[in-house]
Amino acid sequence: MCPCRPARTLRNVIGMTRTTGKRAAESQEPAGRATSTQAAGCPGADSTPPGPAVVFTAAVKTFGTPGGTVRAVDGIDLTVGRGETVALLGRNGAGKSTTIGLLLGLDTPDSGTVRLLGRDPESAVRAGLVGAMLQEGRPIPRVTVRELVRFVASTYPRPLPVAEALALAGVSAYADRRVDKLSGGQTQRVRFAVALAGDPELIMLDEPTAALDVEARRAFWESMRSYTRRGNTVLFSTHYLEEADGNADRIVVLDRGRIVADGSGEAIRHAAAERSAAAGGQVSVDLPDGGAKGLELLPGVLGVEVRGGRALLRTEDPDATVVALARLGAVRGIEVGRVTLEDAFLSLTSPPPSPPLSPSPSPDERAGHPKETV
Amino acid sequence: MFAYVVLEIRRTLRDTAFLVLGTGMPVLMYLLFTNLGGAGDYDEWKAASMVGMAAYGALVSAMSIGTGIASDKSLGWLRQLRVIPLGPGRAVLGRAVSCVVTVLPTVVAVLLAGALVNDVRLAVWQWVVLVLLLWVGALPFCLLGIGNGYRLTPQSTGVVNMACLMGFAVVGGLWFPLEAFPGWLGSVGEFTPAYGFAELGRSTVAAELPTAGPVVMLGAWLVVFGAYAVASYRRSARTV
Repeated sequence: MCPCRPARTLRNVIGMTRTTGKRAAESQEPAGRATSTQAAGCPGADSTPPGPAVVFTAAVKTFGTPGGTVRAVDGIDLTVGRGETVALLGRNGAGKSTTIGLLLGLDTPDSGTVRLLGRDPESAVRAGLVGAMLQEGRPIPRVTVRELVRFVASTYPRPLPVAEALALAGVSAYADRRVDKLSGGQTQRVRFAVALAGDPELIMLDEPTAALDVEARRAFWESMRSYTRRGNTVLFSTHYLEEADGNADRIVVLDRGRIVADGSGEAIRHAAAERSAAAGGQVSVDLPDGGAKGLELLPGVLGVEVRGGRALLRTEDPDATVVALARLGAVRGIEVGRVTLEDAFLSLTSPPPSPPLSPSPSPDERAGHPKETV
Repeated sequence: MFAYVVLEIRRTLRDTAFLVLGTGMPVLMYLLFTNLGGAGDYDEWKAASMVGMAAYGALVSAMSIGTGIASDKSLGWLRQLRVIPLGPGRAVLGRAVSCVVTVLPTVVAVLLAGALVNDVRLAVWQWVVLVLLLWVGALPFCLLGIGNGYRLTPQSTGVVNMACLMGFAVVGGLWFPLEAFPGWLGSVGEFTPAYGFAELGRSTVAAELPTAGPVVMLGAWLVVFGAYAVASYRRSARTV
């Protein structure tokens, strides 16, 4: 048992208590590996003090925009234990990237604190405790995968052997090709290799599968799972419920800079399913001339949201709502449908009774990322 | 940081455009300028132009780092560097060192053309000192390029670099001797960094110690461009 790195054993405790059934069985596996790693390694006197991997205390970050300020992170309190795999789930603009930016010291909070492994983020990065895959990174020209990974590894105090890092990320097959000559899925995995090359305590992946097709996405998560089995703490962001559920021990749902739900995939799924049962359906129409004002008062309506020139009404009685809309003459482009699990989950992120009538532009969108309707 | 220097040098030397523009062009221009037309002190001009063109080539290579940095910035690579344990100071220093190293092939190529094609004859110590001075003297221009790269977009870096190069080459007397210009332009030229840079080489060829003027001038520009690079870097750190 290694005295200088107590963190890795914690994972097993968390894994056992947090997961049930299928995944509890899997979590037996890291126990053996983590211990053997520690027994073999135990290097460096610069061990981090015990404690959680991540602590946010009332963190706030605002950005100035031409139309005023946006509170991208609006009072987040969050503790992530060592060895946990946590998904930050939310729509585009929910504050995921800003949260990760704060964690990496790329931004500093306006108020509140962010601590990483007992340090401020910048010094944790400098100490080589963190690896990251940023959202907007594109491959740099004229360098091979192996050269890139070797360089990044060399900056860390206790890196993985390069061959192992390449294998873990699943990029060995094209290690000697230039990174700017690879496909989107391959590039994404190279960036994953860069994040894990230093064998950091904590890795952060900002929307690691954005813009990947289904096949590449599946391959990516396979690599990712083989990495989490080593017992490292992983934090990733996504806007897919399934992806969060399938790959994280714990899901933190963000909306407009706040945490609106936090629990195991099962718990979130359950809450979402309950919503789905409670909410009978969804009616959407082109936004009436008078705007969405008053629509929430119509019979059966539980909540109203405006997205892309459409008014989306969650209703417990679709028929009554449609009749009422017809009376108002607001039936242009009307669509009626059942609330899906995904919609219900998203309803977690737009709590009634005050739906956003004009969603404020998020930092993500300002940066030119296309808005996606989930 | 050594690994970073190696990575950047590798990337630079694999850049065909860089090799052609930075090394091939100065050699070609040197051979053209010294073998077409021309009269009078033929051999002297061959040696003087060799120094001027080597200096010009060093300038092109040094400042081209700006384009590299600007494009790295737009690719998100600089941001990625900020989340590995490299540290911002070492990232900039590593870039500057790799820049200075990639200047060397250019200087050597032009000097070789002088020795082998144009029969320029100098003592061994003169060749050695010439290479060293032209090499180390390129540092201020690396810093200027770095400052441009951190501050500007890839496109505008290219334009600004080109304007700086042309201005320096003409006014600093790298292409034609300053004596060929009207007097007032000549005296302006003596204050440019490129003139001081080339003077180091010219005095070596003349087997003299460089006078204090150009050395001080180049040192002053080193400080100015260094401050510019640091200021640009700080500014980009807020947005990168």
